[in-house]
Amino acid sequence: MSADQPSERRIGVYVCHCGGNISDYVDVEAVVNAVKDEPGVAVAKHMMFACSDAGQQEMEKDIAEQKLDGLVVASCSPKLHVVTFRGVAKRAGLNPYEYSQANIREQCSWTHTDDHEGATRKAIALVRGVIARTKLTEPLEPLVVETTQKALIIGGGITGLRAAIGMADIGLGVFLVEREPELGGWVGKFGPMFPHERDGRELISHLVEEVRKRPAINVFTGAEVVTKAGSFGNYQVGIRVSADPPETITAEVGSIIVATGFDAYHPAEGELGTGLAGVITLPEFKELVDGSDGKLRHNGRPVRSLAYIYCVGSRQPGGNEYCSRFCCSAASHVSIKVSELDPKIRQYHLYRDIRTYGNFELLYTEARKQGAVYVKYPDDAPPVVAVEASGSLAVTVRDLLSGDEELEIPVDLVVQVTGMVPRKNEEMVGMLKLPLGRDGFFNEIHPKLRPVETMVDGVLIAGTCQGPKSSAESVASGLAAVTQSASVLKRGVAELDPLVATVDPDKCTWCGKCVNACPYGAIEKVSIPLPPPKAGPRRPHDLAADARAANGREVATISEAGCKGCGGCVPVCPENAIDLRGYTDAQITAMIDGLLQEAIA
Amino acid sequence: MTARVDRNLYPELQRFGANDISACFNCGVCSAICPLSVDGASFPRRMSRYAQLGLREKLLASPELWSCYGCSECTDSCPTKADPASFMAAARRYAVASYDRTHLAYLLATSRLFAVVFVVALVSLLAAFMYNSHRPVDGSSLAFFEFIPSAVIHNLGIATMAVMGVAALVGVFEMFRRVLRGPAAHGAGPSGAALGGAKATIRKAAIRKAAIRKAADAAFYAVGTESLAQTRFRKDCADAGAAGAANAAETRPWYSQRWFIHFATMWGFLGLLGATMADYGLELLGIKATGTAVPIWYPVRLLGTLAGAALIYGTSVLIVRRLRKSDRSSVHSTTSDWTFLTMLWVAGVTGFALELALYLPSAPAWGYPMFLVHVAVAMALVLLVPFGKFAHVLYRPLALFAIRLRG
Repeated sequence: MSADQPSERRIGVYVCHCGGNISDYVDVEAVVNAVKDEPGVAVAKHMMFACSDAGQQEMEKDIAEQKLDGLVVASCSPKLHVVTFRGVAKRAGLNPYEYSQANIREQCSWTHTDDHEGATRKAIALVRGVIARTKLTEPLEPLVVETTQKALIIGGGITGLRAAIGMADIGLGVFLVEREPELGGWVGKFGPMFPHERDGRELISHLVEEVRKRPAINVFTGAEVVTKAGSFGNYQVGIRVSADPPETITAEVGSIIVATGFDAYHPAEGELGTGLAGVITLPEFKELVDGSDGKLRHNGRPVRSLAYIYCVGSRQPGGNEYCSRFCCSAASHVSIKVSELDPKIRQYHLYRDIRTYGNFELLYTEARKQGAVYVKYPDDAPPVVAVEASGSLAVTVRDLLSGDEELEIPVDLVVQVTGMVPRKNEEMVGMLKLPLGRDGFFNEIHPKLRPVETMVDGVLIAGTCQGPKSSAESVASGLAAVTQSASVLKRGVAELDPLVATVDPDKCTWCGKCVNACPYGAIEKVSIPLPPPKAGPRRPHDLAADARAANGREVATISEAGCKGCGGCVPVCPENAIDLRGYTDAQITAMIDGLLQEAIA
Repeated sequence: MTARVDRNLYPELQRFGANDISACFNCGVCSAICPLSVDGASFPRRMSRYAQLGLREKLLASPELWSCYGCSECTDSCPTKADPASFMAAARRYAVASYDRTHLAYLLATSRLFAVVFVVALVSLLAAFMYNSHRPVDGSSLAFFEFIPSAVIHNLGIATMAVMGVAALVGVFEMFRRVLRGPAAHGAGPSGAALGGAKATIRKAAIRKAAIRKAADAAFYAVGTESLAQTRFRKDCADAGAAGAANAAETRPWYSQRWFIHFATMWGFLGLLGATMADYGLELLGIKATGTAVPIWYPVRLLGTLAGAALIYGTSVLIVRRLRKSDRSSVHSTTSDWTFLTMLWVAGVTGFALELALYLPSAPAWGYPMFLVHVAVAMALVLLVPFGKFAHVLYRPLALFAIRLRG
């Protein structure tokens, strides 16, 4: 079959040594020799580092001088360098989508270190497959969408409030939606906070005041986002502003920042004394201390000694395995506040590891100086809380530092240092298609490179809905989400990858299977035959105009801006009516044939 | 056995002068740097942990408190400035107060006002009691035992010794009860197990010769090697030079090193005690009446003179160092320190003055009052042995004995 392929293509093939990562196991010269006479291959070379400046320049020179119309680099994973080599193509005047990458490192040399000959044969097959696909590539242009100069921020805690102010100051409109009747979230309930000992309530009222000053920010409290339609740059969101009578308004936004925060862990009945009188959680204790009138009392009785039990609901094998990060610092901070109320109150911190990272270390030192005693308990022997015959509480714990003594600490109060858990927001998660991590928090694309973006374009996450954070870190991520939104929205247009699925309306019989397969909600039913895609910079289909030209036949249509090119809809279509640009059926078939060329021959 | 945490221990220890120990995070640098904390011992660190947690019985059952000679090298090395040396001293004061059942030691250590009033009152009372039985004397020469009948002084002295002895026995019993039978003996911790071992060793000592030899060795070590010879204080303890000075032991002559000052004070006191006892013995044997003038080379007088000189030298240096805060180990002085040192010094200086007065050509007017002060202070000093800093003479050898026995 490959022999029948049109051979007028002029493809450049570059096989990379990757230092020795590839060439130590794969005979790169043999790979070059195997493909250099393939029909359609104009240039075939091996290079020490294709991604190096020298390598890139050599390829650019070849593209220009040899008038190449296709580019293949056989190197590492495309995840690493597809953008690099698309750039090479673009700079040399070649359409970037005429470039394909063959992964002969992760998928070949690294996995077959024990079989050099086999690795070489596999590399040849992989490169042949990619060449076969490249013969069928065609120039593609990025989709360009106009963006709405407004953003939706879900969550009116410290992150959402600060993000709203930042967004407005950049010149973008904001819809700020808070489910509770009041803005402020967790911080809005807090007393003095580290490091400046400013009251959390005061910080929030300052932010709320700033929000009120900005007419660009529309605040909806007691409201929820209930629907989302449209795609990146142009979302239509339904905000239910009141439940009784139900009233929903629609807002047009370009991006959505989710800053829905966290829930405090609620220990189960019996877990570390839960349910016993005098056993409370950290948020409850903070409220008690923040609201004290100078004397620390619980249920009317003075507290003279108390024990904190750390890692309640955090770092639990089989439960929440993550560290909630803020709790060690918060417990040490509240311990200092207690000492300020009455230095005679004896405080015992029963911990597993103290993780007062960064400046929070000062809290730990200060709490100890004030007389708080830290007791490290073994991971496999958590403290036991019990009520004594006298009716008072006693915590039993093993102390490593006194030679693994078992201590019995009589206390008036036990504070469970509870961590953060994800909020239960199933409806919103389903509506926004937010990806969840294993821990139940929302997942970013990449923790370092794309820390606030999600797999859904234009939907960003910030603050503790993403995972446990301090309030400072939450605000920082909120502002990162603002910048990330603004960088697209302020340009007015957004470029989207053209590698999206398309429906052939002549073949489509509307069975609806693709709609169910699409995780992004990008497929809709329309009663029209869609016009064929135009070449050049394109706008998303004007569905309304198409609808006017309807001839009554129901077919599926895929929003180019909404489609992520995952390909999930392609195999479910019983009519084979869907094709994925850049990975068309023909291209994939050619690739398989190329891969199996030797076997077939 | 679970150790019960007592939230009141820590504030109580603060009353005894453990002011900075809350800063301790139990890193163990103090134990690592301590030249005496070896062979698996972990003081001051573990003692500090007991104090922080409020493990009262564990602390009081720790003979290691008495292993420390207070060189303060740990305080110099402490990364959190928790001053472990001062803590150890405070814990010893606390232990003395806890082993005493009368509460007197507690008040003497925690209230400066009480200590001053009590000591002055005690000395005055003793002096008044003796003066009450004084007889007229002619002023030509000093005759102390004509002035106050020697029987009064001797009987009062014996009574003082008896009272002190009872209190000391009670204290020693209390200490041993805790060290051997306290919760530590049943505890799972290493110290508990070791102490349990010590207890077992003592039991076996009754039936096994080897164990008897071991106990004898421990006793010889505790009383002889460590206490009387000051071997470890001399050889192992880093000498405390000027506060912060490095390697002070090399720059300081032997006669001004800490061990020697203590050595001189201790042997000075023991010498004077011996001379006094011998003098009384000579009277009992009818060889020489107490208070009779004898030549300087007369053995009892010679011993008394030399011992007195040593005592005055030792206590004077100690007082000067505490006043100047010149040594890192004399930066912090407490009521206990001052009470003990002052009484020792006064007893020594008045004793010397009396000897001087006795051999002056004509009797000075201050001779008899000085005599009263000397005897009263000396008796008060003896009476207060189990109640103040002097108690280390009881508890330290015992603790060292227990530790040695433990092996």
